[in-house]
Amino acid sequence: MKTTSTTSPILSARGLHHSFGPTQALRGIDLDVQAGEVLAVMGPSGSGKSTLLHCLAGVFIPDAGAVTYRPPGRSGLEISALRESKRARLRLTDFGFVFQFGQLLPELSAVDNVSIPLLLAGTRRPEAMRRSSELLERLELDGLGARLPGELSGGQAQRVAVARALVTAPAVLFADEPTGSLDSLASENVLTLMLEFVRETGTTVVMITHDARTAAYADREVIVRDGDIAAGYRVTA
Amino acid sequence: MNPGLLKLAVVGSRSSLGRLAGITAGVAVGVCLLLLLWGGANGLSARDNRGAWLRETGSPAVSVPAASDASVPAASNPAAPPASDPSASQQATPLPLTPDTVLMRANPVEVFRGELINRRDFAALGSTNVRIPGVGRPPAPGRYYASPALQRLIESTPRDQLGDRFGEFAGTIDDAALPGPDSLIVVTGATEAELRQGGTAFLVSGFTTNPYGGSAAAYVTVLLIGAMAVFFPVLLLISIVTGLGAAQRRERFATLRLIGASPQAVSRIAAVETAVPSLLGAALGVVLAALLRPVAAQIPVNGTRMFDADLATGWAAGTAVVGLVVTASAVAAGNRTTREGIGPLGVTRAVHEKTPTPWRMVPLLAGLGAMTAAVVIIRVLEVRVPWLESPLLIGGFMLILVGIVVIGPWLTLCVSRVGLRRARSAAAVIAASRIQRTPVATFRSVSGLVIAVFVVSVFAGGSSIIQTTEAPTARPGLLQPASLHATVGTGQTPDQVTAAASKAAELPGVRSSVVGYGPAALHERDAGPEIYLRAADAPGLGFEDIPGTEVVAVDSAFLRFSTQPLALAPAPAGTLDGLVPVVMVVGTDGTPEAMDRARTTLNRSGVTATPATSPSDIQLQSATRLVQGLAVLAYLGMFVAVAIAGLSLAVATASAVLDRRRVLGLMRLMGMPVSVLRRLITREAAVPLLTVLLLSIGLGFLVAWLMVTGINDAYRVTWPAPDYFIALGLSLLLALGAVIATFGLIRGNTGISATRFE
Amino acid sequence: MNNSLTLLGLLNREPSYGYDLKHSYDRYFGTGKALAFGQVYSTLARMVRDELIRALGEETGAGPDRKKYEITGAGEDKVHEWLFTPDVPSENLQSNLFAKTVIALLLGNDAEQLLDLQRSEHMARMRELTRLKQEGDLLQILMCDHGLFHIEADLRWIDLTGARLTQLKKELQSA
Repeated sequence: MKTTSTTSPILSARGLHHSFGPTQALRGIDLDVQAGEVLAVMGPSGSGKSTLLHCLAGVFIPDAGAVTYRPPGRSGLEISALRESKRARLRLTDFGFVFQFGQLLPELSAVDNVSIPLLLAGTRRPEAMRRSSELLERLELDGLGARLPGELSGGQAQRVAVARALVTAPAVLFADEPTGSLDSLASENVLTLMLEFVRETGTTVVMITHDARTAAYADREVIVRDGDIAAGYRVTA
Repeated sequence: MNPGLLKLAVVGSRSSLGRLAGITAGVAVGVCLLLLLWGGANGLSARDNRGAWLRETGSPAVSVPAASDASVPAASNPAAPPASDPSASQQATPLPLTPDTVLMRANPVEVFRGELINRRDFAALGSTNVRIPGVGRPPAPGRYYASPALQRLIESTPRDQLGDRFGEFAGTIDDAALPGPDSLIVVTGATEAELRQGGTAFLVSGFTTNPYGGSAAAYVTVLLIGAMAVFFPVLLLISIVTGLGAAQRRERFATLRLIGASPQAVSRIAAVETAVPSLLGAALGVVLAALLRPVAAQIPVNGTRMFDADLATGWAAGTAVVGLVVTASAVAAGNRTTREGIGPLGVTRAVHEKTPTPWRMVPLLAGLGAMTAAVVIIRVLEVRVPWLESPLLIGGFMLILVGIVVIGPWLTLCVSRVGLRRARSAAAVIAASRIQRTPVATFRSVSGLVIAVFVVSVFAGGSSIIQTTEAPTARPGLLQPASLHATVGTGQTPDQVTAAASKAAELPGVRSSVVGYGPAALHERDAGPEIYLRAADAPGLGFEDIPGTEVVAVDSAFLRFSTQPLALAPAPAGTLDGLVPVVMVVGTDGTPEAMDRARTTLNRSGVTATPATSPSDIQLQSATRLVQGLAVLAYLGMFVAVAIAGLSLAVATASAVLDRRRVLGLMRLMGMPVSVLRRLITREAAVPLLTVLLLSIGLGFLVAWLMVTGINDAYRVTWPAPDYFIALGLSLLLALGAVIATFGLIRGNTGISATRFE
Repeated sequence: MNNSLTLLGLLNREPSYGYDLKHSYDRYFGTGKALAFGQVYSTLARMVRDELIRALGEETGAGPDRKKYEITGAGEDKVHEWLFTPDVPSENLQSNLFAKTVIALLLGNDAEQLLDLQRSEHMARMRELTRLKQEGDLLQILMCDHGLFHIEADLRWIDLTGARLTQLKKELQSA
């Protein structure tokens, strides 16, 4: 039985319930995410993983229950009580997102894609371009900044997406099947570079995956089954 | 083709139903407009054909000996001063009436309530063979035939204001001789002596059927260009709606390819899939056009509505339009699908557009070249080669229309390149990048509006000609706007004229009635340069600075609508003795009733040689029919073009959102506020629009100038009327509205559900 | 797989004769390699010696197949411990895990929990290998990958079995 001491969760969910029409996606989930940890969320399709991630990230508000975000050095914030505009701002500044595919704007060059969140946050364009280029270099994409997503390989495109998610130095990185459409080697490459970076910066990661080898990069995993955390993975606070 | 497969392709899913409904509705609107406009164009020409007889001018009613240099009218002049040339009395001999001719006088200023009435007075022998269109035998003296609209007017107005001008009602003019149901036409009977007196009557043996006289080719050119200008946006609308939801369709076709459909089969499916809703829409459009015809006929064009039947296009035309639209849309859809080259694995990313090159300038430049060449031929070389001019003008205009659509993407690309370098905000970067990658698709969404603005500018430029005359103002030294004047015929005694003047003075609403004198009737060669009047009468003509003599004089330019105020001078003779009355001027209070009463009285007095005229009548005459017709077509064109363009833009903007719902949804999930998405969509519409808008406006006026000066150098293009700026503002408002209308879509379609993938 | 513990688990359901036990075993786990009678009886004898089971109503002179056995308290504890102790991930783990799952279902125990525990163990091992991989040279990476893929195969089986537990339980009960 694996439990983690609950000293300083950066995100904690209590009693999350959510339904889509007749389908109950979440049935009273409790979950703590520790600051700086890399958490893999696993579970079968339709178990409610994505819904859980969306609630944690403030993409939408659960029908019942609360999500609290405690950024280091700041006071706690109940995400599930914020208005959409506030949550959007929070997602922009404090969270980063990586998805399985198709998240890059196809008409924008790699470096422009990465700099979008910075521009949205109000950074001046030259500065945004500089930081984006640096990050691309960190993720071993030197010289590919001017390419369009369609001109990159799957792994390269995914690393651009990772760069975009990390460019604002978010406190929490949410990844939904980040390597779902990549082969083993490309996945490994993306994950290694991404995790190297987040461990260095102390970024918390919540990563949905159904792939055990991907999950093995995490510090721990939880299983979501039928809208709840599987018994063996529950927080026993 | 397997019918099951086809069914799958056509009614694939709920979302494709929406797309099909969109195509059906768009094509229905397009076809309906096409048919109504076609009917309108037909109606205009049918109308002009029916009214052609009004253009008959006849031949002179007098024969003038070749030796004479005079241009004096026919009537003999026993009261002429003996000082005149002794040959004057015998220089012109009246040509006698025969059974094959009638004497006709056209009254150029038969005005009632500010509207021109087409009046023709006829005198004929009892045995005449001449038949007047819509009337038959010329009416007997004192009787008249009127168009139904005029007769209604006569019956609803006191006789002393209108009915007395014509005499006794004999019947209505047949519709076959009336341009439209609102035409005001009167045919009166008169005695031969009456008509010969004024010297403005002509002998007519038959009536022309050519409605445009010598400018027929020019008129047809203008009509064709106008029709193109109006049809083009409609065709653009049809092309835009049939391309709806292209991204979704690509995915579905890829699935079909994967399960074994050949590329040809997929193209055929695409063609059929578009043809079915197009056919449905086209049929709906035909029904709609038939239903709306009576409503459309109510729109006054050139001052009169149309007969319902004028707007009917007939089965042949209807079938042709339906067939053409359906075929064109099906072939276009099939070709588009073939061109996209959808493989079994689909088009994984947006179809790579070919980058537009500067070659796209060619059609526009060619069009401008053609039109310029036509004008140069007409104006500079001064040779008339109609077989070359018209094709050059029409072809040039067509090329310019196409050229604007072709050059748009290239200009948009140039602007977006600069824009991307200078972009500061996220919305700007995204919009500029997208425009740079897909300039053709981006420009397509505003092409309708750009074309509309061009068309509106052409028409505004063309119709600015008629806007140039200003309403006359009341100023001392000029004829008063509310006054009427008529020249006095030869041989009228001062007593007769004075009696007529005092009769007019007693009419309600008449303020003054003044008689002007001169050495001889104004149309005679002995008429002096000045008109004399009693100083006491001068204030009645609006003069303020009056010399202290009993008789004063004013230059006779006073009567010719001088724009410079004229001053009174003391008459050297100091008396009116030896002078004859030459003009009567009646001042009224300006009410329509008083004006029309005075007109009726003056024209019936028997002493006047010309019809009573007011300074404001000149406005009714100065504009030419051709340009007036064009102006009306212009406003119709503006309305259609702008409405369609707005619709197209809304449709195109909506699909720009729908085609990218997943990636935009993910951006929102990342925290991009909806407001940024709104700015993004707005920019994507605004950049191509504003880029080409100025070009459109400039080209529009240039083309109008080329056309107008090419047809007649008497016209000038001037500053457009406020209507133009209203139309332009309306276009931009509509564009804004179209974009704002899609804002509702943004929130709904970029929500979290849009980011899920199946 | 551990035959004696599996037999002990089967006995945990209800007291049985040695003969019946063999047949139960063969039905659930003996596909292709039935258990020999001798092996059953020797195993039973050893478990009696270890006081995990005891013979019931000893009938004199009867052979081992005439004896009915019953699990003892110690035996029950042993079964439970076996079930809920995850195995070290290894290549020949599968049959044991399979046996444990079936026994758990037969006993009405929480098979899902058993699988989850095993999954945790597997994941821990995978994390370890992943860490090793990040530090090591290419040869070590290849070694680790080999291990990772094998463990992953187990995990996939665990996932799939987890998803089929309800169905499996139904089938076992009706058999």
